[in-house]
Amino acid sequence: MRNDTGAHTLSFTATREDYRIAWLAALAITIHIAESMLPSPLPGIKPGLANVVTIAALLLYGWRAAVWVSLLRVVVGSLLIGTFLTPTFVLSFSGALASLAVIGLGSLLPGRGLGPVGYCLLASMAHIAAQFYVAYRLFIPHEALFGLLPVLMTAGVGFGLASGLLVRAMMAHFKSDAGPGAPTA
Amino acid sequence: MTRADYFVLAGALLLLPWLYASYWHRGGVGEEVRIVGADGREILASLRKDREIRIEGPLGTSVIEIHDGKARFVSSPCHGQLCVHAGWLHLGGEFTACLPNRVSLAVVGPELRYDTINF
Repeated sequence: MRNDTGAHTLSFTATREDYRIAWLAALAITIHIAESMLPSPLPGIKPGLANVVTIAALLLYGWRAAVWVSLLRVVVGSLLIGTFLTPTFVLSFSGALASLAVIGLGSLLPGRGLGPVGYCLLASMAHIAAQFYVAYRLFIPHEALFGLLPVLMTAGVGFGLASGLLVRAMMAHFKSDAGPGAPTA
Repeated sequence: MTRADYFVLAGALLLLPWLYASYWHRGGVGEEVRIVGADGREILASLRKDREIRIEGPLGTSVIEIHDGKARFVSSPCHGQLCVHAGWLHLGGEFTACLPNRVSLAVVGPELRYDTINF
C-alpha cells in the first residue's frame, strides 16, 4: 500500500474475530502457564484446564477459532515458559493437533452432535494418545512405556470429564445472560 | 448432555479397564522358576509340581518351596531375611535373591518382564 509520502507501509486491520481470538488465546496462555507451575505426581499428568478455553471457543465460534486458540496457546505458551522446540513442546504440539483433529471430526456429527462433555473427553483422550505415541516413537522407544498408558489415560478421562463439566457450566452461564458475549450459533 | 456425549463417556469408561487388562500383568502367570546357587549352577523347576529345594551356599542351606504354582524362600541362614520376606512369587519376571547366601529365585513366564526400568 502507498501512503501520501510515497513510502511503502504495511497495514493490517484486525477484525472483530481477530480480537476475539486474541482474547481467548491470551486467556488460554495464562491458564497454560499457571498450570505449568503446578507440581505433578507423574510426568505427563496435568489438568489441562487451558483446553476449557479451546472447547468454549469451539462451541461459541466454531472449529477455526478453536484451532487458532489452541495453536497460539501451545506456541506462545512454550515461548514464554522457555520450552519452545524442546521435547515438552513437541509433545504438547502433537497433543494439540490430535485434539483439534478429533474435535473437528466430532463437530461433523449429524443431529444434536456432541456437547461440552463429549468434546472435552474426546480432546483429552486424543491428546494423551497422540502424546504417548510421539513419546514412544521419538523419545522412549521402550515397550515398558506402555505400562504408563492406562494411568495416563485414566487421568485424561478424569480431567477431560471435569473440564467438560466446567465448560457446560460456562455455557449455561453465557446463555442465562444473553449479553454481548452470548453465543451466536 | 447429548446422546453422543453419553456414547463418548461410555466408550471412555470401557476403554480404561481394557487398557489396564492389556498393559498391566503382561508377564502373566509364570510356568517355571530358575534358581541360581552360589556355584552358579542353575536349577529350572516347574511350578506345576510341589516340591522343596535345598540349596547350599556359603552361609548354609537356603530352603525354597514350590507350592500351588508359587515359589518362596522358606528359610535362609542369612541375617537380613529379605528373601524370606519377599513372600510367594508367581508372576513371570518376579524375582528375589538372598545375596549373603548367594541364591537367587526368578519366576520365568511366557514373556520376560523387567524388574526395574529407568531412563
